[in-house]
Amino acid sequence: MIDLRNIDIGKIELRKAALIRLIDMAEAIRCFGTAAAARLLSAAGTEITPAIRAVAIVAVIGVVSAVIALTCGGFWLSNFTQAYCMSLAILGCALLYGQLGLVSLCQWALVGAGGWVSLRVYHSIHPPFFVTMLAGGVGASLIGMFWGLPALRMRGLYLALVTLMLAGAFQTLVIVTSFPVGGPGFLGQVGASGNDRISMARPIFAASDTGYFLFVAAVTLLCIFLVEAHRRSKPGRAWALIRKSEQMAIAAGVRIVFYKAWAFALSGFLAGIAGALLAGLFGQLDASAFPTTNSIVIFIGTLLGGYEVWLGAFLGGVLTRFIPALLIDLNVNTNVGFIIFGAALLFALRDPLGLGGQLSILAERFYKQLVGHLRESLKAKAAP
Amino acid sequence: MIKIAALTVQFGGIRPLDELDAEFAAPICGLIGPNGAGKTTLLNVLSGFVAPVKGTIVVNDTPLLSLSPRRRVGIGLRRTFQQELVVDELTAMENIQAVADHVSADRASARREVASALDFVGLAERRNALGRQLNLFERRMVEIAKTLIGRPKVILMDEPGAGLNEAETERLRRLLVELPSAFDAQLVLIDHDADLIASLCMETLVLDFGRRLAMGPTRAVLDDPDVRRAYLGRD
Repeated sequence: MIDLRNIDIGKIELRKAALIRLIDMAEAIRCFGTAAAARLLSAAGTEITPAIRAVAIVAVIGVVSAVIALTCGGFWLSNFTQAYCMSLAILGCALLYGQLGLVSLCQWALVGAGGWVSLRVYHSIHPPFFVTMLAGGVGASLIGMFWGLPALRMRGLYLALVTLMLAGAFQTLVIVTSFPVGGPGFLGQVGASGNDRISMARPIFAASDTGYFLFVAAVTLLCIFLVEAHRRSKPGRAWALIRKSEQMAIAAGVRIVFYKAWAFALSGFLAGIAGALLAGLFGQLDASAFPTTNSIVIFIGTLLGGYEVWLGAFLGGVLTRFIPALLIDLNVNTNVGFIIFGAALLFALRDPLGLGGQLSILAERFYKQLVGHLRESLKAKAAP
Repeated sequence: MIKIAALTVQFGGIRPLDELDAEFAAPICGLIGPNGAGKTTLLNVLSGFVAPVKGTIVVNDTPLLSLSPRRRVGIGLRRTFQQELVVDELTAMENIQAVADHVSADRASARREVASALDFVGLAERRNALGRQLNLFERRMVEIAKTLIGRPKVILMDEPGAGLNEAETERLRRLLVELPSAFDAQLVLIDHDADLIASLCMETLVLDFGRRLAMGPTRAVLDDPDVRRAYLGRD
């Protein structure tokens, strides 16, 4: 029971006044926040800035990878890890085709070359995984630059055929010599029994399948940022001029040979990283897994996903690996995949933006509408 | 100052330029002639895209023909092409920045030169518009702005007014007349619009079948009966 005679009215008044001040302050903060948000939105504009693009890349890859990591295991997790490696290879292929209009049909061979170099380096000096991975990237980058030499004189179908021949040559070479498995000598082979084979170790923090998948996702993210940084800086602008007109690029002072070689080196680097990641996934690489036809599949993935946006490479990689994996899961001949890809190419012919390009346009429209709507509603709230 | 002596270009049995002698000394010079007269071939020789079989070219006391196309850019030679070549996926500013990346002395001067070129051609407000969002006049302006980067000495323009309407051509004329003094560069202009050439150029060279038909003060050249017959189609 409260004794009303003991209540200090002065104290109550003070508390009431303090409460009112608190409410006023909260209202002021809300109004200030609304006005600040309105100002921020108004300053931001509806254009897709590099910062917004970076957030979108992290969000999409982060969410998709988290869902895969939480829901998949065994067969599907392994396939999605391979799909991310495929995305890296497609990212390189899309760079050459989208930025310079060059058709390269030896990308899967470069993945193999990167895998070979990383296994060779691992079995020689057992460095940390990052060093092994970078060695694979740099090795494939140098080979890619060398293979890109014909591109200095050739374009279109002729370049495509020459690079396809190179992929064929790699397939023959790797079937004869195979991938290093920790044996003696340069080729690192062991006896016919194969009992002495040594597997390449994964990074300590990514030893489990899920951990390794997330590690591959993080590397994929970094590689996408690497390509985006190129596209939006000096090399990207130089490539854009070269693609538009080589004469105009020369008249603008661009070193054509240097920038073409740079593109081939970067494309090879991405393929090499993919090869090293595949070597880390399986511990060893099998020569029969690097047929020439896979280089064509990578180019198909480039067209299906779309070569002008990062999302295209990501989707292309996932599709070109997901469909064969699904066919295996359903006990259907994997060659049916070629029929599906052929049919899907008809879609790509009709719409050169590809799936990634279409989705990017939709996302851009949605973002602009959302920002416009938020701006209007905040303006209305901020108004006195 | 451009001095051309006995310049001859041969493609098989055809001579697009035949023993051409000319001297461009005025700040704005014109180059006219009927289709196939060798105007663009001359620009291509000056840019280093076509090698002559004979002759010499000296630009501001530098012999040009021994230099690679890139070295010619290095000594201040710039050009535009008949077809505008703005990259659709880059903004107006990025299209110009793409040139600054390779010809400006450093990043600070690149930024300064790009801003100054955008201002000069009147595209400062549209600098963030993508190439595909620009109209033909704006695209032509981007092409001109690209030539203003990196202290140009000689700017070769191949039909900068092609496809523009009367009002746009007038805006182009006012811009080009200011260009030599604003950027301390000599301008050599090809155009089929005789009025534009007459109002802009102090000196004009007329080519016909790869040979020099006339050269001198523009008004006198345009009044020359041979020129009127060959080029303007009237006596």
